[in-house]
Amino acid sequence: MSRLRDHLPLPAEGALISPPEGDATPFEVFIQLLRGKPHVHAGTVDAVDSEMALQFAREHYGQDQACVHIWVVPRSAMLGTDYEHDVIWRSTDRSYKLARGYQVHNRWRQFRSKEDVKEYEKEDLKEHY
Amino acid sequence: MSVSASVDLKLDWDIQEDPVKLVPFEERITKGELVEPDDWMPHNYRVGMLRMAEHHANSEIVGALPEGEWITRAPTLRRKLALIAKVQDEVGHGQMLYRVSQDLGKPRDQMLRDLITGKTKYHNVFNYPAPTWADVVMIQWLVDGAAIMNQATLADGSYGPYVRTMKRINMEEAFHFKSGEDMVLTMMSGTPKQKQMAQEAFDRWWAPCLMFFGPLDKESVKTSPFMRWRIKTATNDDLRQRFVDRFAPAALDLGLKIHITVKDQDGMVTEKREDTEIRRNEKTGYWHFSQPDWNEFHRVVKGNGPLNKKRVALRRFSYEQGQWVRRAIVGGSDLPPLC
Repeated sequence: MSRLRDHLPLPAEGALISPPEGDATPFEVFIQLLRGKPHVHAGTVDAVDSEMALQFAREHYGQDQACVHIWVVPRSAMLGTDYEHDVIWRSTDRSYKLARGYQVHNRWRQFRSKEDVKEYEKEDLKEHY
Repeated sequence: MSVSASVDLKLDWDIQEDPVKLVPFEERITKGELVEPDDWMPHNYRVGMLRMAEHHANSEIVGALPEGEWITRAPTLRRKLALIAKVQDEVGHGQMLYRVSQDLGKPRDQMLRDLITGKTKYHNVFNYPAPTWADVVMIQWLVDGAAIMNQATLADGSYGPYVRTMKRINMEEAFHFKSGEDMVLTMMSGTPKQKQMAQEAFDRWWAPCLMFFGPLDKESVKTSPFMRWRIKTATNDDLRQRFVDRFAPAALDLGLKIHITVKDQDGMVTEKREDTEIRRNEKTGYWHFSQPDWNEFHRVVKGNGPLNKKRVALRRFSYEQGQWVRRAIVGGSDLPPLC
């Protein structure tokens, strides 16, 4: 190999003889690690079409951890908000629309024994906003 | 996503599913794996799931109507903000559930039309009136409390998109329920007049809430595989008992009385007597209670409840009068040019 390379003509200067080619289309990749769980953004691949993007995504993002499903989406099909100008979550007090905005435990205690309130609260949803 | 849009939407118990597909499908469900829209599924699974999701979506949309009436008359600014947010949540839940239903094979517009023409139904409980602010209170405490009980079991089902939607919905329902508790605690800490209003509203809503979970298990028409397929994960009677075990003692401790009621055709109570069955069974820990009037339930389900016609008429008005908005959004050659 090395001897062959020594004899190759390797031009080091001048214009490239093959023309510029441009990039392929960027696709965003979303992977799912467990059936039924949400897909999460994993990264981006360039490809000429969605089939090729899916093939690249399998190789790039589907081989490092147990992955059960992949979506690819052309970036041009996506639209996002603007960090500077779009206000998504308003910072004014909106506790009226959150479960934690209502402190009812002590109010129940005015009517009921500790044990009864505890029993009643067993059915409360554990996850809430 | 390639979801077939043309499926026959009727249950058919004569279908013989291919065992080569059915056996692994049922094994996956037993293992707790979720079914996704593109997966193979038995015909009756698809139809059963669609019916449930569509009925649920319809109920969210119609369920916003009785409370929506009270937005302009909420007693304080904070209660008004909360009620607006709650009604907005319910309509949002309807949107999410119609989306889930669409991927099971039924176009959204068809679902909206079928609700108005009576081909499909919504939850029975929304055919009852909310004549006072205390009814809003009882809806948020009792009806939302019942809905959460039901939906917490549905979030443990087998159809991925529905399960994920249910989890999200429950996150928001928790606010509705806490707000309901806060309001019922306020009324029952209030003046004699407030307590009387709360009692009268409680009398209107207790029986509809017992009916909320559907007919008695022994009257269930057909033994279907819906429990095995985890479309449903709890029986009507089990959920009803859990509801009574939680809410009967809480109501009594608040100072409310539990009555057996007779109602007129407008849903207003004309006669009431104390439910003497209400007591805790010290051996089992379960609460005894009197069954609601199941004849009334069947009458209301068939469309003869206090407000069936009014609720559907309002949906029809909204759908028909909203046509120009939808046309303006979707576009069409017969629209006048934009100025």
